[in-house]
Amino acid sequence: MELNGEPNNKSTSESNGKKVLCIEDEYFISELYVRALTKAGYSITVEPDGQQGLALAATDQFDIILLDLMIPSMTGFEVLKALRDPAKTPYLHAKIIITTNLEQREEVRADIEQQADGYIVKAEVTPRELVEFLSNIDI
Amino acid sequence: MDYINKFTGQVRTRIFALLIIDNLVFLADWWLVEQVLHLTGFKLIAALLIVPLLSLTLLPWLSTRYLTQPTKLISEAILHIMPDAANPVPAPNPDSSPFGKELVASLIHQVYQLATIADQTSKTKPQPIDLHANFIANSLPLPLITLDASQNILFANEATCKYLQLAESDIVGKNFYSLLDMSFPSEQTFDTWLADVKQTKATANGSWERVRLNVSETRPMRLFDLAAYYNRSNSQHIETMVVFFDHTKQYIQDDQAISFIALSVHELRTPLTLLRGYIEAFEEEFAGKLDPEMNDFMFKMSASAQQLTAFVNNILNVARVDGDQLVLQLHEENWADIVRSAANNMALRAKVRGITLEYSIMPDIPTVGVDRVSILEVINNLVDNAIKYSGKSKKIRISTQLTNEGMVETIVEDYGVGIPTNIMQHLFTKFYRDHHNRAQIGGTGLGLYLSKAIVTAHGGNIWVKSKVGEGSSFGFTLIPYAKLADELKNNMSTEITRAAHGWIKNHSMYRR
Repeated sequence: MELNGEPNNKSTSESNGKKVLCIEDEYFISELYVRALTKAGYSITVEPDGQQGLALAATDQFDIILLDLMIPSMTGFEVLKALRDPAKTPYLHAKIIITTNLEQREEVRADIEQQADGYIVKAEVTPRELVEFLSNIDI
Repeated sequence: MDYINKFTGQVRTRIFALLIIDNLVFLADWWLVEQVLHLTGFKLIAALLIVPLLSLTLLPWLSTRYLTQPTKLISEAILHIMPDAANPVPAPNPDSSPFGKELVASLIHQVYQLATIADQTSKTKPQPIDLHANFIANSLPLPLITLDASQNILFANEATCKYLQLAESDIVGKNFYSLLDMSFPSEQTFDTWLADVKQTKATANGSWERVRLNVSETRPMRLFDLAAYYNRSNSQHIETMVVFFDHTKQYIQDDQAISFIALSVHELRTPLTLLRGYIEAFEEEFAGKLDPEMNDFMFKMSASAQQLTAFVNNILNVARVDGDQLVLQLHEENWADIVRSAANNMALRAKVRGITLEYSIMPDIPTVGVDRVSILEVINNLVDNAIKYSGKSKKIRISTQLTNEGMVETIVEDYGVGIPTNIMQHLFTKFYRDHHNRAQIGGTGLGLYLSKAIVTAHGGNIWVKSKVGEGSSFGFTLIPYAKLADELKNNMSTEITRAAHGWIKNHSMYRR
């Protein structure tokens, strides 16, 4: 399943030319993110599967990758490792932002945070706040 | 043994020589009477009797003195080292012995050596406790330890050895703090109490609840209540007595309850995220298009979702604090902005109860080093409490100013039911809830406990002032960022990481 563009056609904002890949299997979450980000001018692609998400990300056509940790076929952490491995992904300019509600040991979180460009606990950030967060990231 | 053989030889030759002298004297006496004096009759008998009699009395007397001289020297050596002697005996000179000098010198040397050893043992070994007290202490099923003035263990009963799984010899003589790795649920630890009573009191009693003991890495941690008795002047040098009441079972149940709740509550996070997301989208999409009643419903939904989120975060954070897993990252933030946004956020929840939330922020408040998400939770918890305990009052005030010590202080004030003095000290304890209000006002008893852990991890303090019927103020202080920046320079990193934990180590040697 792929969800492209504007789901409700209500966006009146100008495109800001930035492309976001959202690797997320929870449909409601991706729907909310698509709505908020589209309104803010991003073009957003949703991919619910880990392996396919990795394949899409590796094409290097995105500026921002929102990566959930609990996703089918491959965990988000494995996707992150593959994207950071020069042998598997020789070039990637996108910023990787982890989006998760998963509770984990501090050591694991620190390890993930070190490899990613941002770490967001979904329960702590509303879609509006996510847009604000992304606008502060240098791309 | 060579000395003994030599000594017997010397004694034998001297007795032999004395016997020869004795015989010679007798013969000389006979010869003198016969040849020189020509005595006869009664005079002859007298002369022949007097001289041997003289030699018989004088010679034994002289020889005994002479032969017992070595023994005298040894006895003098023993008397010399006798403690508390009324008339001290001077140290003997082994060279003054007429014979057997080696044996005498070596025996005296041994006497002195034994005395030194005995002296040392009596100093290092604890005074033996009388058998009766020992019997009582050992029949006690609770671990009991006594300490001297430097916190070294003088005595540990059998229950202690069993509890720590150590031999008595591994406990007695050891330092209390190095043997027992204890953590307390508040800053009022055994260590700080003892330091305080040593300065101010002759005798004192202390007790602590929910103390954590890490026995060893391989054995599970124990939780107990602790009682201590202090007595400064004690004839046996026992200064402090400590008794342990193991309540691991009960306390572990509480902790397991929290872990279970945290696990269940975690499942609420995703639906809550969605609920808040859709409410936000709804508000955006329908802004200005709803009638006032619909708007009111919307706004109550939003306030309730926020409250539920705060509750879920509290539970999860308490589980993190207890597992030493709540790590804060302090960043430079504009404190006025944070207070303003928290106040605006909470105003919604207050308004649902008809309460107005006012705030006043002193100008030129310096920036602070805080973990934004966590410190917002502190403000939320304090305002939430103020809302809950406002009673009939309809006003809550938040104010921020700089203290005389240069700390940034924020106070949340309500004019509601207030807090009785006797329960003030328990307010920041986990699960504590005012029993008078328990039936009327809901809550988990975790909010203030968590707030304190977070504020403390920021390097600040949290306090409360209250009067029944007039309301309460809860305040906390934060360190200005400029002060924290020095810490940054030393760390060579761009952020400051702090751990919030619910346990305070007993002694500074363990303090982080």
